[in-house]
Amino acid sequence: MNSNDVAFKARPRRISHEEVRARIGEPEDLIKSKVHDRIDRHSRRFIAHAPFLAMATSDATGLPDCSPRGDYPGFAKVLDERTLAIPDRPGNQLADSFRNLAENDGIGLMFIVPGVREVLRVNGRAYPTDEPDVLARMRTEGKAAQLAIVVEVAEVFFHCGRALIRSRLWDPASQALAAELPSVGEIAAEQMGLDIDPAVVTRMLEAEYRELY
Amino acid sequence: MQRAVLERVEPVAEGAVSLVLRGDGGPLAAWEPGAHVDLVLPNWLTRQYSLCGDPADRDSYRVTVHHDPLSRGGSEYVHLYLRTGRTLEISLPRNNFPLSPAAEYLFIAGGIGITPIVPMLASAVEAGAVARLVYVGRSTATMPFADELRATYGDRVRIHTTDEHGRPDFAALAATLNPLALVYCCGPASMIDTAEAVFPPSRLRVERFRPAAKQFALNSAFLVDCVRSGRTVEVGAEQSVLDALNHAGFPVPSGCREGVCGSCEIPVVGGEPEHRDDIGAPPGRMYCCVSRALSPRLAVDL
Ligand SMILES: Cc1cc2nc3c(=O)[nH]c(=O)nc-3n(C[C@H](O)[C@H](O)[C@H](O)COP(=O)(O)O)c2cc1C
Ligand code: FES
Repeated sequence: MNSNDVAFKARPRRISHEEVRARIGEPEDLIKSKVHDRIDRHSRRFIAHAPFLAMATSDATGLPDCSPRGDYPGFAKVLDERTLAIPDRPGNQLADSFRNLAENDGIGLMFIVPGVREVLRVNGRAYPTDEPDVLARMRTEGKAAQLAIVVEVAEVFFHCGRALIRSRLWDPASQALAAELPSVGEIAAEQMGLDIDPAVVTRMLEAEYRELY
Repeated sequence: MQRAVLERVEPVAEGAVSLVLRGDGGPLAAWEPGAHVDLVLPNWLTRQYSLCGDPADRDSYRVTVHHDPLSRGGSEYVHLYLRTGRTLEISLPRNNFPLSPAAEYLFIAGGIGITPIVPMLASAVEAGAVARLVYVGRSTATMPFADELRATYGDRVRIHTTDEHGRPDFAALAATLNPLALVYCCGPASMIDTAEAVFPPSRLRVERFRPAAKQFALNSAFLVDCVRSGRTVEVGAEQSVLDALNHAGFPVPSGCREGVCGSCEIPVVGGEPEHRDDIGAPPGRMYCCVSRALSPRLAVDL
């Protein structure tokens, strides 16, 4: 904890689900009904244009993990209206997700298309595969994926755009925020206790970032 | 690069559509039969498609795309998501499969491999050559342009459907071939492999859309001396020459990155390249997306 963090006398108070409902009400039917159990043509088109997704898994105890995956738009493949496949490339550090899936096959995905305020949410069950016909579809830059995650879809829905509107995520002016953060080299050097020039660490990372496949 | 507007998408067979691309504000670059262009798709993928329209038409290009059931995202995008009216970037035409002058031709096409052959056959017939086409596919419904070709060229075109008649007998074709005829073959790997086994290499020209399965010795690291700039670039064992050069700041272009399109050609002036492409690099050239080195150093004119 930082010395100037607001000191709480105790943890923030916990309220019951009844109290939550009393404040925000039941979800409206309109919102509920937009949850589908399969990938319709609009969701399919969205996935085909998404270069980025966030993938949430959790371990046997329920401890969750959320990791980013990204590639060319459509890198996550729609195999049929109930099945998706997500490639694993070298250096993805997907190991955590695979370990979680071995203990708990639940998965939550959030697909993002740059410039679009709504996001697509997909929840389901997942398992790893090395099926050659699936990996063949994931070849990029002449290199194959090593493994893929197959997602059996249970829920698919578009999530409204308020969060992305409020966060001004697609406003180019928002990129000025990056200048307020330390460089990745400074963070890494300090967090790992490295006694090297942060600029060198940044350059090393930049060089690594160029080997993407 | 050029820009063109996707004017029409026309189904031409089961699993195949033609795209008509109209030059955006001016004529498109000239091309010769056998040429292809790179299409940069809205999902950032670049794919090669043979020009199969009329070379005399400078206002538009026609390409025909087969929906590969194991699509890596290119042909699938064209079939499921590409919309008319969209402006696309396309490369200048490149020709690795040019028609050489001859008095007689045998064209052999398999499935979507018909695309470069269509303008070649037209040009050969127009030049007054003896020209025949053996066009192989599963069934006529899956074969683009089968009816038009029969209607235009009559008996010169033989449609061979494998669902009904099994594989065609290339050995018989080779046995009766005029020794001066040139054979042009484009189709699936198995067809090209058979053609290479039966026709004399000096008479046969092929184009592969996808790389042939091959085995090479283990990769090792080597150095590339760029003689014009005086710089030396290290190529790691797991790295392509293309990537190493790009990372070092040499803007070598690329398309397929699997040795079939020819866009990454660079001039080699020293050392011994190990050619791994499917095009057949001319002397003093290499396709650096896949080809490597047999010598510890290569010298290139960059
Ligand atoms: C020189 C060359 C010409 C090609 N011409 C065609 C063509 O006319 N039609 C076609 O469907 N594919 C053609 N291809 C294959 C496509 O470029 C691409 O590999 C194919 O559409 C599969 O891509 P996908 O796996 O991303 O769907 C050609 C490839 C090369 C190298
Ligand atoms: S990029 Fe196509 S041959 Fe090298």
